Amino acid sequence: MQRFVADLHVHSLLSPCAEVEMTPRNIVWHAAEHGIDIVAITDHNSCDNVQAAMEAAKGLNVTVLPGMEVETKEEIHFVVLFDKLRQLLAWNQIVMAHMSGRLNDAKRFGAQFVVDAEDNLVRVKEEMLLTSLSLSAKEVAEQVDALGGISIASHVDRHVYSILSQLGFIPSDIKLAAVEISPRTNRQDIVQRIPTLGRWPIVTSSDAHTIEDFVSGPKTVFLLEQPTVSEIRQAFDGQNSREVVV
Amino acid sequence: MTVGDFVERLPLTVVAAKNGLDNQVTGGYVSDLLSNVMGFAAAGNVWVTMQGHQNIIAVASLAGLAAVIVAGGIEPEKETAQKAESEGVTLLTTKLPCFELVGQLYQLGIKDA
Repeated sequence: MQRFVADLHVHSLLSPCAEVEMTPRNIVWHAAEHGIDIVAITDHNSCDNVQAAMEAAKGLNVTVLPGMEVETKEEIHFVVLFDKLRQLLAWNQIVMAHMSGRLNDAKRFGAQFVVDAEDNLVRVKEEMLLTSLSLSAKEVAEQVDALGGISIASHVDRHVYSILSQLGFIPSDIKLAAVEISPRTNRQDIVQRIPTLGRWPIVTSSDAHTIEDFVSGPKTVFLLEQPTVSEIRQAFDGQNSREVVV
Repeated sequence: MTVGDFVERLPLTVVAAKNGLDNQVTGGYVSDLLSNVMGFAAAGNVWVTMQGHQNIIAVASLAGLAAVIVAGGIEPEKETAQKAESEGVTLLTTKLPCFELVGQLYQLGIKDA
């Protein structure tokens, strides 16, 4: 079993709130330089830069996991992860069918750039990404699961966009693989404050919007054979000697 | 005043748990953050929200609220109405936006939190 340092929640410059330095190439190069073995690119309600990140990672010792940070109709953020780009693209079809129809106002929210693996601008994404889909948390988790992916509740310790802030507690009918805590807290403190969270595997991710946050932010270490979502799922479930180490 | 008194005076639809129409209303609370409602809503309050998730019923039951009003024309989910019925939490809806509804509740005398 090998030790993998993973950051399962990273925004590229497609997210309106992320800095333009967060190009797929810059993210994976910094990952390689800083020993980050697994990076999930998770933009708000979109995934147009994931393929570029996977291409940019070729030849580097970095695995890019196809992902997205989804906003449910209750305004809860979930990080969803898949093993294959085609699974993510299938999920993206569902996402696009449940968007608000509003367009982004780049001046107020920030620009949404789609780029290629060499940092060239491909286009500007027009749909407003920083808003809720018309899918409930339960529906998101179910449909992601049906496509073979996993859902992780984002930054559950925060007072906004967290399943706990929005719904008070985690409903038992929502299929979550794990919960994520933000850099503002740690495992011990959060489980002491909210003991029921001890029922879920806890991951720490950078939720980076800048390179500095990405490099210095929290990661999660896994013991896996291969850097895949299906092995990460086994680690969450404590199966086949796969483990979440820290 | 009771929940039923408000139903008579305002454009409210009773979705579930009619037996709670006799509940006395002690005050009101408005929030869409259920974590916040758990911490701050007082027993006997009527709670105005735009969340339609079934957790609103658990939270209302926990806090001992007089009723939950889902405002702004939001349709609570099917499970929410079922849970309200089984838990005996009176669930109302209105097409009025939250601001308008709260203004009218205030005018009818619900002034305390």
